[in-house]
Amino acid sequence: MTPLLSVPVAADFVAPTVDYVAVLPMLIVFGAAIVAVLVEAFAPRASRFSIQVGVALVGLIAALGAVGKLIVDGTRVETAGIPAADGTLAASIVIDGPAIFLQGTILALSILAVLTMTERSTDGGAFTPQASAVPGSPGEGAARRVGLVQSEVFPLMLFSVGGMLMFPASNDLLTMFVALEVFSLPLYLLCGLARRRRLLSQEASLKYFLLGAFSSAFFLYGAALLYGFAESVRLADIAAAITGTGRPAVVGQDGLLLLGIALLAVGLLFKVGAAPFHIWTPDVYQGAPTPVTGFMAACTKVAAFGAMLRVVYVALPGARWDFMPALWGVAILTMVVGSVIAIVQTDVKRMLAYSSIAHAGFLMTGVLAIDKIGISGVLFYLFVYGFTTIGAFALVSLVRDAGEDGVGGEATHLSQWAGLGKRHPMAAGAFTLFLLAMAGIPLTSGFMGKYAVFSAAVSNGAWVLALIGVLASAVAAFFYVRVIVLMYFSEPSGSASVVATPGVGTLFAILLSVVVTIVLGIAPTVLFGPAEAASLFLP
Amino acid sequence: MSASWVVVGAVAAGGVLFFTLGMLANRLLRPSAPNPEKLTTYESGVDPVGRGWSQTQVRYYLYAFLYVVFAVDAVYLFPWAVVLAELGWVGVIEMGIFLGILAVGLLHAWRRGALRWTP
Amino acid sequence: MTALDVVFALFASTAAAGALLAVTSRHVVHAALWLVLALGSLAGVYLVLAAEVVALVQVLVYVGAVVVLVLFALMLTRAPIGVRADLDAAPGRRRVAAVAGLATSALIGGTLLAAIGSTAEVPAGDGTASALGSATFTGWVLPFELLSVLLLAALVAAIAISRGRDADTPGLDDLAPGGTADRADPGAGSAAPAPAAAPAPATPAAPSRAVGPDGTS
Repeated sequence: MTPLLSVPVAADFVAPTVDYVAVLPMLIVFGAAIVAVLVEAFAPRASRFSIQVGVALVGLIAALGAVGKLIVDGTRVETAGIPAADGTLAASIVIDGPAIFLQGTILALSILAVLTMTERSTDGGAFTPQASAVPGSPGEGAARRVGLVQSEVFPLMLFSVGGMLMFPASNDLLTMFVALEVFSLPLYLLCGLARRRRLLSQEASLKYFLLGAFSSAFFLYGAALLYGFAESVRLADIAAAITGTGRPAVVGQDGLLLLGIALLAVGLLFKVGAAPFHIWTPDVYQGAPTPVTGFMAACTKVAAFGAMLRVVYVALPGARWDFMPALWGVAILTMVVGSVIAIVQTDVKRMLAYSSIAHAGFLMTGVLAIDKIGISGVLFYLFVYGFTTIGAFALVSLVRDAGEDGVGGEATHLSQWAGLGKRHPMAAGAFTLFLLAMAGIPLTSGFMGKYAVFSAAVSNGAWVLALIGVLASAVAAFFYVRVIVLMYFSEPSGSASVVATPGVGTLFAILLSVVVTIVLGIAPTVLFGPAEAASLFLP
Repeated sequence: MSASWVVVGAVAAGGVLFFTLGMLANRLLRPSAPNPEKLTTYESGVDPVGRGWSQTQVRYYLYAFLYVVFAVDAVYLFPWAVVLAELGWVGVIEMGIFLGILAVGLLHAWRRGALRWTP
Repeated sequence: MTALDVVFALFASTAAAGALLAVTSRHVVHAALWLVLALGSLAGVYLVLAAEVVALVQVLVYVGAVVVLVLFALMLTRAPIGVRADLDAAPGRRRVAAVAGLATSALIGGTLLAAIGSTAEVPAGDGTASALGSATFTGWVLPFELLSVLLLAALVAAIAISRGRDADTPGLDDLAPGGTADRADPGAGSAAPAPAAAPAPATPAAPSRAVGPDGTS
């Protein structure tokens, strides 16, 4: 009578097969995250912070080592699933060239991000010890006096990194959605933990959460419609349903397909911060604790562009001519909006936020090249942009108000950066280098990134995109150079600022970013080779 | 499948009908003597204090959140239990990992004092 | 038109009406309760479509847990909980929002009608617990395990923002007797700028009837 029991069960149960070596990087990061939660629960308070830093660094470096093994082995495998009807493995995860390259990039960047998060030499770190205390309340002051430190950021950040590793390696929309949530959810919270300017931080957290949840819903609805179209969420099945290779093509359902693509695109474009889905970017970048901003700006972009590449190149090549015009429009709008609005910004974090929107537009020109060299260009660009961004935000976190009692909060207003070049030539020099790289000046890594994506666009007939990209870069160069001029040729006005002495972690992160920016500007082939070798998706 | 759900629907409809008929009979049989005193909140004879709506403690939120987490956990146990016989030990391990990871969360909540009502 | 169609139409229209009332209600708690109606009717819709497990999940997780969470979250805020005129946006914005909502519904509904239309039939056996169970625990085991990681992350995150102390930390109240003064004093409480950040350290005595935001007690 009860239907729950009366249905005959399938007798041929097949256990899923998992290639544990291929998914080892993700397993290590998630394992480290769980260990970190246990550390948070059981380690004594005095040593908790250092243990957390150790767990995070060891986990991320081990995962990077595991990625290194995948590179050496030349692993190209689909894994975690059961055989489908046609005998191939219906896998949830695909470890191919782009996936390995992006995972390596994310891990390298997140190691630097952890190092910047350990910075406590200035005024006790960027994070509030007690997020639940009302800003400015006596309770908050008490927490500061007892020396509480925020160490929950490390498990949360590790969860986020694990999700980011899985996002571009997902072989179906369902896994992709869960990975999207796993990496987004901790980020929403991390944005609200700033020690200074708590209300701004909490506002950023709430805005990011609400808009992020909204965009996730779009992604999910799009995935559902594509499932209705192809009767499968697997990227390869969707591609086959469009083109009819290996199975009969689905005809007469273009409405489902197009609306599904559109809604899915909204979800992905939100995550990369492309216009008109960029509204959250400036507020969140400004309000979040600066190390989190750096982490988010660099790693989210890498993961989200990786997933976008995979969806566009693996699932939707057959529908290219239907969605390309819309994405062209988005790319053009993103480049223009990011470059133009950045000009009028007076806060350095907001300016970098708009610059990241413009960079999302430049990256999209590479995605829209629909070609192997487009993929390798985007991979290269993501790598160099990530290092530049982490370095730039690490420096932003060092420039402080000169308070009566030593260093104060971050001096993010541009007027406070005037004359920094004379007082702190090292910091100003490094920041100048990052700005030049973002502007795409030759002999910096940013130039080679832009060259890669624009030349890919031109060689595939998208010269209009490349032209607008070059023009937008010229506009963008204006405000980057303006900051440089401000630092070197202006007298300080308004409240004074100082550069705090960085701790070992931040110093290492900045130095490594400087080295990467210079080396890849002078000898880009060091990375172009691997990016080119990695630029083939496993269908 | 529908036959059994018809029974469920019939029981639900019967419940609604029972309630409606009872209230209807009540309305028809009772005397009616409206009085504003009768509309105030009954407080065991004590005068009501404050308003009906008020702010609650943040600790309720954590309990509600734990409830959500473990409700999500529980809904996976139903389909799992149905197919456990064929899944065999593989199924036990799969669910063990799932529950184990959630147990870590519970441990964390416990150590943070989130499960204690009094501070 | 079969009996199932009639039941489906009943559930679906109830869900739509509940959703409409939830967004138009001027009383946030009533809005949450209308949400119960909308989500519950949706469970009925799932049931008619032969998705039994999804219907049960809908009742257990959404009607049960999520609405409880929503209600608690509403009751945590310092904002007065009664009828609020300022919950309404300006008429212009309301109109734009209504147009956007209707346009989205028309687009998605129209697409679905055009794509599936009258040809749709309810598949038998796909929504049973055993079908879902064998799918979840064989081919989809990786996303399933990932869900537990997501839940763990959410739990850690929720504890991080709502409770600042741990078992071996001395109570902050002991260190700063005035630490939570803004909760004990209703006047100061209403002036606090951040409703989302209600202080975690408990008030010395937890009254069965919490102090109202307007100072009545």
